Amino acid sequence: MDVRTCLIVDDSRIIRKVARRIVEGLGFEVDEAADGIEALSHCAGLMPDVILLDWNMPVMDGLTFLRRLRATPGGDRPKVLFCTIETAPDRIAEALSAGADDYVMKPFDSEILHSKLSEVGAV
Amino acid sequence: MTQEDFDRLQALMASRAGFRLGRDRINLAEHRLAPVARREGFDTVEAMLGTLWTRPVASLGWAVIEALLNPETWFRRDRAMFDTFATELLPAIARARPDGLVRVWSAGCSSGQEAYSLAIGALDTGTHVEIIATDLSQRAVERGRSGVFSAFEIQRGLSARTMLRWFDRADDAWVTRPALRDAVRFARHNLMDAPVDAARFDVIFCRHVLGDMDPQKRGQVVDGLERRLVDDGVLVLGTDERIDGDTIAFRPVGGRPGLFVKAPSALSRAA
Repeated sequence: MDVRTCLIVDDSRIIRKVARRIVEGLGFEVDEAADGIEALSHCAGLMPDVILLDWNMPVMDGLTFLRRLRATPGGDRPKVLFCTIETAPDRIAEALSAGADDYVMKPFDSEILHSKLSEVGAV
Repeated sequence: MTQEDFDRLQALMASRAGFRLGRDRINLAEHRLAPVARREGFDTVEAMLGTLWTRPVASLGWAVIEALLNPETWFRRDRAMFDTFATELLPAIARARPDGLVRVWSAGCSSGQEAYSLAIGALDTGTHVEIIATDLSQRAVERGRSGVFSAFEIQRGLSARTMLRWFDRADDAWVTRPALRDAVRFARHNLMDAPVDAARFDVIFCRHVLGDMDPQKRGQVVDGLERRLVDDGVLVLGTDERIDGDTIAFRPVGGRPGLFVKAPSALSRAA
């Protein structure tokens, strides 16, 4: 089986590090991006299997990235999990309707991430 | 806590709850009992246990027992089983019942995630169900009945879509919507007690409960489940759990780990 890849998009280096440790533990090969533009250019080169996506980031936020990604050829393929501190139900619904496969409220732990990734069929 | 205290705790857990408190659990016991001691007005765990040993097992004893049970649970644990329940078991049993009603028991429900997961499956498929959720721990039963879950608990096993459909946010917590909460009835029950009424169920979920029990007590508990299950009912255990050493009343369903039906020898002695 091919190695599964995961792109972690978050402007916090600490969050990226924590998330990286968890998804590497689940067998993913991990890349990182600090904002939506970086993430888009990464996806133009190599479309990952899974994207963990923060909402509020400088340069380009997560929601804008997601809409652009889904409009890109092949951009419907990655499973996208929003991972943000935003917990208002209407914001969660907004993220889902923009094309996110699931939504994780921070803070999360490895059990939550594992369970969310199983629920979308990524592990 | 002294070794003698721990030995007595082990005996208490085995005799009252059928629970096997492993020898390696002394630190865990100390840690779990500290808040109980504070709540009950004792300065230390040892002082509380000292009092406990001089009295018959009453509310203090049960508070101690509850704190030492294994409360680990999450939504849709062993998720495939919930799909089996919703898409296979429920329609098959509902068809076989004249009123279409399926009676379900979540035995050892802890804080209720399993029972609510079952209720979501039933409500999503429009099946008419009655779900009873029981646990030995009164505190767990009350938590389940409240339907309030932390952000950690609600995310463990539930997709965000399911969460939004069935739960409302209240501050940092998530609360079951009335339609979901009303689908589950919670009650305290000790699986060690023999059935005293005629309630029977079509499906019994008793997962990750027997594995923590004293092997000497497991057979008795499984026999109690058998008496509570209708002849064409299904017993659901954790996918890795086995009971072939404890009972001849059930046989596993081939190729379906976790599913058990009554063995021919256990069918309707009354018939």
